[in-house]
Amino acid sequence: MKINIKELIKEYDGQRILDRMSIDLEDVQVLAFIGPSGSGKSTLLRLIAGLEEFQGGDIAINDRWMSEEGLEDYRKKVGFVFQDHNLFSHLSIFENIALVLEKVHGKDRSEFEDEVKSLLSFLGLADHYHKLPHQISGGQSQRASIVRALSIKPEIILLDEPTSSLDPILTYEVLHAIKQLVDEQRDVVLVTHEIGFAKSVADYVIFMDEGRIIEHGSDILNNPQTETLQRFLDKVLSFN
Amino acid sequence: MTKKRNTDFLYFILALSLYSVFFYFVMASGRSLDFGSYEPYKMVIIKGWFRTLLISLLAMVLALIVGLVLYLMSESRFKLLHYVAVIHKNIIFGTPLLVVAIVSYYLIANSMGLRNKLFVGSLTLAFYIGAYVSDIYKGAIESVHINQWQTAKMFGFTKYQTYRYVVLPQVILTALPPLAGQLALTIKGSALLSYLAVPEYYNEVNNVIQTNYKYVEGYIIMAAGYLMITIPLIRLVRYLEVKLNYKI
Repeated sequence: MKINIKELIKEYDGQRILDRMSIDLEDVQVLAFIGPSGSGKSTLLRLIAGLEEFQGGDIAINDRWMSEEGLEDYRKKVGFVFQDHNLFSHLSIFENIALVLEKVHGKDRSEFEDEVKSLLSFLGLADHYHKLPHQISGGQSQRASIVRALSIKPEIILLDEPTSSLDPILTYEVLHAIKQLVDEQRDVVLVTHEIGFAKSVADYVIFMDEGRIIEHGSDILNNPQTETLQRFLDKVLSFN
Repeated sequence: MTKKRNTDFLYFILALSLYSVFFYFVMASGRSLDFGSYEPYKMVIIKGWFRTLLISLLAMVLALIVGLVLYLMSESRFKLLHYVAVIHKNIIFGTPLLVVAIVSYYLIANSMGLRNKLFVGSLTLAFYIGAYVSDIYKGAIESVHINQWQTAKMFGFTKYQTYRYVVLPQVILTALPPLAGQLALTIKGSALLSYLAVPEYYNEVNNVIQTNYKYVEGYIIMAAGYLMITIPLIRLVRYLEVKLNYKI
């Protein structure tokens, strides 16, 4: 995938969260954002997803600039997995996916039924497709959310701290599911606190702090160049 | 599941028997009851019951609409509409239904030339209960987590689609139980329309009581008549909750 961020400005209530951020990335398959809480990485991911408006600059995925395309069309090409799965609570797992494909993408149920079921099986949810979100575990919900994001055949999948609210076993389940996506050569952008996981799957890592990119590169987790990243890694990995 | 249902049913029958024994004891220790003296007034009472049913149904349907309009007004960006709804709700919340009914009929409806007591009564109930229904809608809509809106936005749902397929089904399910209670209040509240001399159930039974002085029997008939409307309503709502298969 190719991502271009040009002079990006994001403000909340007059307070600048991202200040003229720019970066150009090409031929990246798995991009990971890391950094302390409040560093702006989730905000940046939501901006890349077209979920929020920004006050200046522009973003492009695979050479299509958001400002030219319009947010609504742009969003249809992006799969997003939220921190808390965000499945529609009144619908079964299968209907969560079917609703999006039928109502937004205008597809007929017969066109996608088999494919969705095989995607659910792929991520170990074959026996759960008829269940409501509250009837399955957090890890299963998160995997169902990943299937929903995949079902629209997005150009890239964005994952916003997908394991932040899960216990270690469920975290493993979800990371395993993401690894399966990576092995399938899908383009993935994720915000994560799982440094070990980022190290093993990401081919490019961006470290952010206080709304700025402090360091980026393909080997920064093994070979940090700044003191800020070094300190961050020391803290995060201190009990590993 | 079937075993659980059977056990539940057994306990229901047991609880019902306890109530029956209690009422049998109460009645047996008092004077003997004479329902026969209500026989000649059977048709008048039945007609009154159907009028109560009609008023309640009309008022319930109107209350659901009034509630929605009041909710939309109170959430409106147009401050005038917002405050019209707020003032309406404050008046309703702070005034007994009886007072509202009398003012509505003898002052407001009279000044507008509306004379149909049944219609004015239903409308009054609708405006009264509608204020409470509006708050039920508000609570139910606010209970739809912001995540659900965001997800709909992310997947490209239009505003209409978001309301139609994501928000509304969740709102209905959340609002159903409190709505059932509120609608049961509408039915019971219809008794106060007797003060407007609307020939509804309470009024008709009360008229018979004034004739035969059989108070206890009259009030038992009244209670049974209202329960015949409210119990099916509550059962219907429970059935809908289960049918919609949500958070059981």
